[in-house]
Amino acid sequence: MSTRFDRYSSVVFTMIGVFFVAESGSISASAYGSKVGPNLFPLGLGILLILLSLRLFWEASRKKSEQKATPAVDHRRLISFVVLTFLYAVVMEWMGYVLSTSLFLFCAFWLMNKENWWKSAMIACSFSLLVYYIYVDGLKGTLPGWPAWLN
Amino acid sequence: MSVISFLLDGFATALAWHNLLFAFVGVLIGTSVGVLPGIGPMSGVALLIPVSASLTAGLPPEEAAASAIILLAGVYYGAMYGGSTTSILLNTPGESSSVVTTLDGYQMAKQGRAGTALSIAAIGSFVAGIVSLIGLVFLAQPLSELALTFGPAEYFSLMVLGLCAVSGLGGRSMTKALLMTVFGMLLATIGIDNVSGVARFTYEIPVLYQGLEFLTVAVGLFALGEVFKTIHETGRQSGAIAKVGRVIPTRRDLRQSAGPIARGSLLGFFIGLLPGAGATLSSFFSYVLEKKLSKHPERFGKGEIAGVAAPESANNAASGGAMIPLLTLGIPGSGMTAILMGALLMYNVQPGPLLFSDHPKIAWGLIASMFVGNLMLLVLNMPLVKLFAKIIETPSQYLLPIIIAISVFGVYAVQINTFDLVLLVVCGVAGYFLSKHDYPLAPLVLGLVLGPMIENNMRRALTTANGDFTIFLSEPLSLLFLLLAFLWIALPLLVRKRGRQVVVSEEY
Repeated sequence: MSTRFDRYSSVVFTMIGVFFVAESGSISASAYGSKVGPNLFPLGLGILLILLSLRLFWEASRKKSEQKATPAVDHRRLISFVVLTFLYAVVMEWMGYVLSTSLFLFCAFWLMNKENWWKSAMIACSFSLLVYYIYVDGLKGTLPGWPAWLN
Repeated sequence: MSVISFLLDGFATALAWHNLLFAFVGVLIGTSVGVLPGIGPMSGVALLIPVSASLTAGLPPEEAAASAIILLAGVYYGAMYGGSTTSILLNTPGESSSVVTTLDGYQMAKQGRAGTALSIAAIGSFVAGIVSLIGLVFLAQPLSELALTFGPAEYFSLMVLGLCAVSGLGGRSMTKALLMTVFGMLLATIGIDNVSGVARFTYEIPVLYQGLEFLTVAVGLFALGEVFKTIHETGRQSGAIAKVGRVIPTRRDLRQSAGPIARGSLLGFFIGLLPGAGATLSSFFSYVLEKKLSKHPERFGKGEIAGVAAPESANNAASGGAMIPLLTLGIPGSGMTAILMGALLMYNVQPGPLLFSDHPKIAWGLIASMFVGNLMLLVLNMPLVKLFAKIIETPSQYLLPIIIAISVFGVYAVQINTFDLVLLVVCGVAGYFLSKHDYPLAPLVLGLVLGPMIENNMRRALTTANGDFTIFLSEPLSLLFLLLAFLWIALPLLVRKRGRQVVVSEEY
């Protein structure tokens, strides 16, 4: 399983390398007073990245897949956590810090363990309120406040 | 002014009451973070960069930087120590540098001597901290004076050497480590080029003009990556926690561990100076050394106190030694120091030879705070060790989501935009999958931090040489660095071809 990931990732890294090489073609090749332009470094690195990915691909296809004893995994829990975190990141500015964080924490606690949801809700709300008021009022920091549609 | 008076000034900075408080908070948080399952020293420090930024917001810039770096260094030492706590009590090392500690530490815990092992580890770390402090005081000035004679070509080659060293030792596959390094440097080219002012790879997207923020990437890769890993793997059950027992070591314990602590500290310090080698390798070496020197090598692995004292002092001394190339040359030699360097850069403080003349307060304050921090670790940990052992039992149901929330809060507090939050999640997922398949993450972060500096120096050197690449080979020092870099990459390959086992550091 490990070498399959290596082969896929080497293809992805090759594509990233090709992208940087191709796109550095559109960056100026010289700078004022210098023959060395801002395109040189990404161009060189892109080529290096492609070469290294090819080597990785070669290594991965030569090596036999070894079966490692992997710990039991829970794909659904990982995916739901990633999606949840992503949603949290996207809606935070719109919903405001306190609301989005309480909601995120509550859902995340619930995903981890479905019992004791009353306690989870308490912890979620108190964490977000505490962080918000300490940071915004105490330390004069900036966090998205309460949403406009609530007022 | 002489070195001593600079150092005294440094102590004046470190002993200011707010800095004492920061060091205390740093060590306290660091130890808790190190003890908690799922966050290592690197993610701990990455997570606390934004928190330290907001804590020091009210201070003038120079003092804010000094205080923040004192706090972060405290977290670093604390987390290293916390990692040993779990390896002694639980047989699960918190980070790779305390893997060796489990061998004898857990055995001691099983015999009911966990408290002694923990306090010897703290004493060893303290002595090691002092050794590396003395080393820093003596090496800082001459090294930074040497570094001032470097031109851009030398700098370029020295940084290439640093990157090669880290990649050569940084994981199971050198190809993967090099790939990560190059990828990190490529990511660093996104944004406005600070030599010519040309925008690169930005495609008129406003948030891309300032480049990918180092902090976001580091927090995502290390902190979120580790959380996702713990969430994904359900089957892991932690064992029973050993009882701490008597904390104060007996006179016999102290006598037995004095030698190992002294040797471990010296060995660790010198290994720490080398880029890429770091804490893991030094703890491993010092354990082997003690076993060789011991009159009773058969006792190792069965609860010998020297087997805890030596590696614990060595890994702490190495983390002190690793500060030297960072502070004097401006070149981080490990993932951890790369993160500290990123933090310094956030405060507009450029580590390097000029640090000692431009920002003596920060440089010497940090050096002095290493001493203060280690003293605090000692004072804090002896009585509080039982409390820290309790932290291990924090239910992960609450812990993991709160770590995510703190990461998101930290990144938003510094960056104040949604793009960085999305980038954070992307880096978290990428970090998890990459590290799961043995792609080391430290070289990526190192590449991201060093990329712009390497590029600047390369272009400055090439500009003075009219685009002639041989300048890197015609300057003798630069040639030497490049040769060393080449050897660092080539030798392990040759050794491996011969079929020998290569000692590989797995410090992520």
